Amino acid sequence: MIDPITFSIIRHRLFRVVDEAVITLKNVSGSAITNEGHDLMVSLYRADGSLLMGGVGFLHHLTSAAEACKSIIRRFRGDIHAGDVFLLNDPYTAALHTSDVYLVAPIHYRGELVAWSACFVHVYDIGATNPGGFCPDADNIYTEGFSSPGLRLVEKGEINRAIMDTFLNMVRSPDMVALDLNSMIACNNVARERMLALIGKYGFETVDETCKTLIIRSEEKLRARLRELPDGQWQSRQYLSVEDEVCRVELTMTKRDDTLTFDFSGSSEQSRHAINCTRWASLGGLFAPLFPLLCYDITWNEGVISPITMIAPEGTIVNCTRPAPVSVATVGAIQSVNNAACTTIGKMLSASEKYAGEATAVWHANHFAVFLFGQNQHNKQAIGILTETFAGAGGARAWADGIEVGGEIPNPISRMANVETVEYTFPIRYLYRRRLKDSGGPGRYRGGVGMELSFVPHDAPDGGMHYVVSGKGSKFPMSEGLAGGYPGSPNAYMWIKNNEPGAGNGEDTAQAGTATAEQQVVDWGVFPLMGDDALYVRWNGGGGYGDPLARPPEDVAHDVRDGLTSIEFAETVYGVVIDAGTGEADQALTEEKRAGLIRYRKNGTQAATAANPRITCKHCGGSLADDDGNWKESAVLQEMPMQSLGGPYASGGDVVLRSFSCPGCGVLLDTETAMQDDPYLHDQIFIRR
Amino acid sequence: MPFVVATDVGGTCTDTVIVEDGRSVFIGKALSSPPDFADGVIASIRSAAETMQVGLADIFRQTTLFIHGSTVVDNTLLERKGARTGLITTAGFEDTLLVTRGAYGRWSGLSEEGLKHPVATDRPAPLVPYGLIRGVTERVDYKGAVIQELDEAEVAEAVSYLIGEQQVESVAVALLWSFANPVHEQRIRSIIKARRPDIHVSVSSEIAPLPGEYERTSTTVINAYAGQVVNRYISNLQKLLGEFNYTGPVLVMQGYGGLLPAEQAAGRAVNMVECGPVAGVIGSKFLGDSMGDSNIIAADMGGTTFKVGIIQDGEIEYAREPLIDRFHYSVPKIDVASIGAGGGSLVTLEQDTAAPLVGPRSAGADPGPICYGLGGTQPTLTDVLLLLGYIDPQRFLNGAMTLETGNTVRLFRQQVAEPLGLTVEQAAIGIFRVASAQVTDLIHKITVEQGLDPRDFVLHAFGGTCPILASAFARELSVQRVIVPYTASVNCAFGLASTDVMHDYSTTLTKSAPCPAGEINAIYEPMLKTAADMLDREGFSGDKMSFKWSVGFRYAMQVHEIITPVRAATPLDDAGLERLIDDFEALYENRYGKGSAYRDAGIEMTRFRLSAAGMIDRFEVAAQAFADSSADAARTGQRRIFVDGHDGLTDAGIYDFEKLRPGNIINGPAVIHTPITTIVIQDSQQGFMDGYRNIVIDIT
Repeated sequence: MIDPITFSIIRHRLFRVVDEAVITLKNVSGSAITNEGHDLMVSLYRADGSLLMGGVGFLHHLTSAAEACKSIIRRFRGDIHAGDVFLLNDPYTAALHTSDVYLVAPIHYRGELVAWSACFVHVYDIGATNPGGFCPDADNIYTEGFSSPGLRLVEKGEINRAIMDTFLNMVRSPDMVALDLNSMIACNNVARERMLALIGKYGFETVDETCKTLIIRSEEKLRARLRELPDGQWQSRQYLSVEDEVCRVELTMTKRDDTLTFDFSGSSEQSRHAINCTRWASLGGLFAPLFPLLCYDITWNEGVISPITMIAPEGTIVNCTRPAPVSVATVGAIQSVNNAACTTIGKMLSASEKYAGEATAVWHANHFAVFLFGQNQHNKQAIGILTETFAGAGGARAWADGIEVGGEIPNPISRMANVETVEYTFPIRYLYRRRLKDSGGPGRYRGGVGMELSFVPHDAPDGGMHYVVSGKGSKFPMSEGLAGGYPGSPNAYMWIKNNEPGAGNGEDTAQAGTATAEQQVVDWGVFPLMGDDALYVRWNGGGGYGDPLARPPEDVAHDVRDGLTSIEFAETVYGVVIDAGTGEADQALTEEKRAGLIRYRKNGTQAATAANPRITCKHCGGSLADDDGNWKESAVLQEMPMQSLGGPYASGGDVVLRSFSCPGCGVLLDTETAMQDDPYLHDQIFIRR
Repeated sequence: MPFVVATDVGGTCTDTVIVEDGRSVFIGKALSSPPDFADGVIASIRSAAETMQVGLADIFRQTTLFIHGSTVVDNTLLERKGARTGLITTAGFEDTLLVTRGAYGRWSGLSEEGLKHPVATDRPAPLVPYGLIRGVTERVDYKGAVIQELDEAEVAEAVSYLIGEQQVESVAVALLWSFANPVHEQRIRSIIKARRPDIHVSVSSEIAPLPGEYERTSTTVINAYAGQVVNRYISNLQKLLGEFNYTGPVLVMQGYGGLLPAEQAAGRAVNMVECGPVAGVIGSKFLGDSMGDSNIIAADMGGTTFKVGIIQDGEIEYAREPLIDRFHYSVPKIDVASIGAGGGSLVTLEQDTAAPLVGPRSAGADPGPICYGLGGTQPTLTDVLLLLGYIDPQRFLNGAMTLETGNTVRLFRQQVAEPLGLTVEQAAIGIFRVASAQVTDLIHKITVEQGLDPRDFVLHAFGGTCPILASAFARELSVQRVIVPYTASVNCAFGLASTDVMHDYSTTLTKSAPCPAGEINAIYEPMLKTAADMLDREGFSGDKMSFKWSVGFRYAMQVHEIITPVRAATPLDDAGLERLIDDFEALYENRYGKGSAYRDAGIEMTRFRLSAAGMIDRFEVAAQAFADSSADAARTGQRRIFVDGHDGLTDAGIYDFEKLRPGNIINGPAVIHTPITTIVIQDSQQGFMDGYRNIVIDIT
């Protein structure tokens, strides 16, 4: 038995080991995606590859890098030596997509393999059909660049030049890729040295015992927490559209006693587009929100993984089979898995008095991967993602608004580059980069707003550049609301042709979003940005929480003054009438307006009336529904086209917003983003009879 | 008998050092007196004067130089008591300050626990709200070329709105690429000043002329927000000194490690952030210079925080992404790392593991630790130190306060020992080790993680609590020696008295290395001229001017740069430039390990910095002659204390600092009580009082 003090010291030092290795990655790597965006991860694993200490960074990777270690152990059994570093990036073996390259390294103490360190960065290029790694033109994995199920890049401390040179021979900008690999080698070196120092100081037995105990405690804590939460089943559905294809990620999460099962049965067949997830990607995708939402005060290790089961039918978008293309997975189906899991976990937390405060609507549901490439003003080849994709919007919480441009849950330490950094690296000039009005999902607590930007070529030796866009979420809002909150607005990507809008104010493109002769939607493929072209991108707000008509009028008025909500939106969605002169809410007109909106809700359709209502409305206490079957059948339903919300919702696709309200008090209880014929989601708490 | 008077206003205490005739050092201490701090300043000087047996008026009559550091800016920000501030920026980019590069402003400065719990986080409320931010049409590009002329009518309208309608007292101006071409920012300032000369204006191209609009804007806003307060503070200080008929120069400490004449300091509020602790690091360097130590870990632990700075090869490290109250700023700032661990830090049990933690929450001065008997009911580190025998309950703060033991034992047992299943003594020992580990981790972070080996360093222990813990955690770090300076309790004020006037200039420009040395010299020429003119106006003759060059380097295509000091003679010749490049590569490999450098990519220079110093005459304290090595005359008895490595408490000798003589040797385990603090010497360590009354402890 280790004394609690030594235990505490070792536990904190294990986290410091990871933290320090992250700093090394950032400082040595040259790519903006690593340095500016923090698209990276470092973790420690036990000798058998199970998760020992997960670091912050992109959390999808904690479980799949564990699988990478295990896979290397199987492949190289008996041939793993101190000073080796292995590379693995095949998504069908363990990785998420080819460009997130894992470097995993054994840690030996006195000749014994005692642990592993693993890290990844999104490398500058991987030699796929399209520059930068996201590959909308890919038909299959074979066109998605270099991919290895495991090779020894460094042998007993010496880099294998033949392999390194071969790898660098297959990618664009090999210098930058070499810098990325160097950063990961240095990172593993640092992790190993610090880990060995820790073992040297406290002894292997003590450190090992502490690690085991940490895993046991994490499992005990998570199971205890699950037992405190109600048993039940919660559902979520995400639409993922690319070109003319619409895919669904369907999730039913069931909580019984101290276990959680995530069942993706019913999800779409695997896509012909590169948005698919392999099994490891889906598993990582559901754990990414689970760590911070359920384990915020629990050490992130193998103990957290044991109580969780995933069911993902083979051949679907959440468990695709080779050779389906997957290069866009991290901003494709993985994110849909993130969002779906965030929603079902949020619904479960909301059902608990103790944990309701931990529930959150979806944050930043849509990354927009835009990779610029071409000759830059310094006459160098430049490839790089717009790191604004990391500047997502926070989802609303049960007690507070979402954080405006507050980031995302799966990567707690993301950020974006300065405009000046981008303008120095690429031959472009921004017209604006600002918060996007009306983008935050309406609710009692409003989702955080997203942003919009536009830029034009500037000083480009070739007259401009090109970009790869693997955008999604322009038809369907994906940042789902919770407890009656609306979803955040959808994304939009627009090529404004030969029409530089009034430079410096950009008002001309403020309403961009509908295709015209001069404006073309560009959400999938490679497009030019030449001459006087402009690219306009706007991205989603976070989901809302609770009934928007319950938002205090003074909060809505405050949002209007802060440029976050328009006067029209305040009136049509929140039912708050703003006096344009004073900027304050007009009380009488607001009451009248809201009463009208409640009446409208109650006039909705009601599929069934409860015969034996045991479920009551939590707002008015009135009878609501029977406890067998879906309570939504007995609620009043109003459906409206999502586009009719206006503002940034207007550019979305043919999708409806379903509102389920209490027939008694008219309070909005739940919303769904849905295609017309899809069945209602069914959420229920299991009642013991 | 000319005096140099240095006062440092800290959060709790105002410290004074008076140097008499460049030879003798006297120290004074008083409680700080917010919000205007004047009473504390005078009381502190009076306290030093008393030890000299000179009247306050006489001190001021003979003072030739008054040096000042203050926590006023930190306080203004922490308490949100700055001016109502507006921001004028480039149209289309009005939200730059508010969105803080995305989540960056939400998670910066959070602990591990905070990072892992995003649902519970938020940004601090901005110093300028949305309603006080105005965009104006204008545009400069990455080369500094004007793409769109400034729309002056819009500026006039924005100024009317902010000053007229919104009644702001202070305006920050931060435009895109202004560091490459400041013309529009300067024009906006003229327009504001023409309308209202009394409005404070901070422009980003002067306050933080660096690329990166978010950090530059944030810095400028901080400067504008605290600018009015600092202005008033400094003029009040000058008025106060005037009342004592002091009309000589007043110099104010800056976070980059130099002094500025008060008139200039008033416009540079952001440079005063953490200037006291920075002065402490400078004081350490000065002391190290006189003792022949060039690698120093300068550690300070008072009531609420543990602060530490690093001096390597006589050079002081600068901070990379400094934060004040979770706001980013980017001016050169000497790195002072800190954690919330001090004497007043609460001892709690971690929720996850029931493992004990020290800090970051603090009992403050009121109610304070349990043993103060002022109503505190939660155990603090000071309580633990009392339980371990380090503090004499009868002699606390020179007997100013008698400490209460009974309650301390009872509450500590209830809240800490019993839940841990340990005895009071065992639990207290455990907490001491946790506090040592937290401090060690922080020092590890800024040494080992930067490629520095603590075994090459000595450790200076300052503040009320650090000299108690230092001999234990120094052993874990394997530093060579611990030095508890004679001035340990007024370290920051001592640092002020050992600082030079300094101006910092920089030019941001990317150049491939190597290049003809003349091209580098050409970049420095205009900066050198500006600097020399400035120092000349301040009354420094040529032989009192010193210019230090340093260059930001990186491997081409990297983002992160390493500032490398120029050690060759300047202006550079080609050999000197080559040496500089070698130095960069050595620094890089030292930091990131062998094989991490990527020379094939080429090397770039990205920033050219000049530190121009006007040297102030240094004092030279005369060493006292050594007495006998026996410290017996100062031994006042013995007491049971915790000795690191032992299980229970062990007998240790107790010594009175006032009775120790230079040359005395004290064998550990031992405790030395000074009027203000306590020094612990661990088992098998030896303490020695040197000719300046510093206690030097050899670590084994």
